Amino acid sequence: MSKKLILSIAAVCLSTAMGSAQALDGAALFKNPQKGGCTACHGKDAKSPIMPMYPKLAGQNSAYLLQQLKDIKSGKRNNGMTAAMKGIMHMVNDDEMKAISDYLATLKP
Amino acid sequence: MKFKSKLASGLVIAGLSIMMSTSAFAWNEGGGEKDEAMHLTPDLENGREVYEVCSACHYPEGWGTEDGTFPQLAGQYRAVLIKQLADIRERNRDNPTMYPFALPESIGDAQALADVVEYISTLPMNPDNGKGQWAEGTAEFTQGKKLYDDNCVKCHGDHGQGDKVKFYPRIEGQHYKYMLRQFEWIRDGKRRNANPDMVKQIKAFSDKDMQMVINYVSRIKVDKKDLAPSKDWKNPDFD
Ligand code: HEC
Ligand code: HEC
Ligand code: HEC
Repeated sequence: MSKKLILSIAAVCLSTAMGSAQALDGAALFKNPQKGGCTACHGKDAKSPIMPMYPKLAGQNSAYLLQQLKDIKSGKRNNGMTAAMKGIMHMVNDDEMKAISDYLATLKP
Repeated sequence: MKFKSKLASGLVIAGLSIMMSTSAFAWNEGGGEKDEAMHLTPDLENGREVYEVCSACHYPEGWGTEDGTFPQLAGQYRAVLIKQLADIRERNRDNPTMYPFALPESIGDAQALADVVEYISTLPMNPDNGKGQWAEGTAEFTQGKKLYDDNCVKCHGDHGQGDKVKFYPRIEGQHYKYMLRQFEWIRDGKRRNANPDMVKQIKAFSDKDMQMVINYVSRIKVDKKDLAPSKDWKNPDFD
């Protein structure tokens, strides 16, 4: 029992340590349904959106993307189209949004 | 995804939705696209193609997410899936996140609806759905079972199997958090396509009652033959 507890505490410590030390994989996050299923709307290549009026993201600069993500999540950015994406934003945190933005910025527009 | 005959299907849908909108206020009146989709012969191959875009949220396995954002679709009856898709498309059930995907421009016509639903019905269910916090043996579990037996069995069946003929959804094996949200929305009138008799039945449920009954439902054991062999099973149709 106590051995198990110690083990699991160790595991938790390790995984938090890893979470901050290890670079998050933006490409994987972008495709993960657990992280909101971004590709469903923006396309696997981040430039073939499902609806013609949805934005292409590939090649946009990272700082801009990150700011938009934060504003969509907080509700600061809220126009007629934002509602579609708002519903999934609770699935990504700040670090994950940063990793995804960095990844999107590396893609060819 | 297929965009062929987009215009033609758009016109058909427009015509159908005019027909359907006249009956928008009664729960699940017959006719329209729903009936049409139900009686077409489905094309499984096209269904798989249509499903690809759905898989970005509902997973290739159709298992949804444990946090309840995306429901499990695997195991649900074709009739229920068709009704829900038609309702979302008609804005009879609010779902801003999925709305674009329910549109004829992205899915296609009634035939495509029939196809994708047929494909979903081939998927085995998640053996490890999200569950509520009260294990069997706790007072809350027992009270939840009692609430279920007294209030839900006549529609959702003795083990949450629902009724495909009557469009009553199967709820066994579904994620706890998804069901909790739907139940609350049905109780509070936010889910507009809800069954009025269910609304009446659960009107007096407190939040705690709701958590207990859904906890029980999330812990009903689904028949093994409907489940995937393990929670690591991957749908071989997608990479
Ligand atoms: C349900 C569809 C949908 C999903 C899922 C979705 N988005 Fe969006 N996204 C949109 C729409 C629509 C807009 C435009 C919103 C607006 O105009 O305010 C948008 C806007 C954006 C923007 C701002 C682009 C710009 O040029 O200003 C970024 C960045 C973005 N999305 C990234 C993501 C990421 C990352 C994910 C996954 C975590 C995601 N989206 C998931 C539909 C979606
Ligand atoms: C952008 C993400 C996304 C995509 C893509 C998506 N869905 Fe959904 N779907 C959702 C969400 C979110 C819900 C639950 C909404 C709610 O809470 O009411 C849902 C609910 C459903 C439901 C209702 C389930 C029930 O138990 O009542 C059906 C059926 C469904 N989706 C089918 C599909 C099909 C078929 C496709 C592909 C054509 C698809 N979805 C694509 C996000 C998505
Ligand atoms: C009079 C019949 C009836 C009764 C009684 C009833 N339900 Fe329902 N329930 C329905 C129908 C029909 C729907 C689907 C409504 C629709 O078409 O959108 C539904 C939907 C649901 C959903 C959402 C399923 C999904 O996939 O989105 C949940 C969860 C649910 N019921 C749980 C319960 C529970 C728990 C009880 C008992 C406390 C109960 N219901 C009592 C008929 C009933």
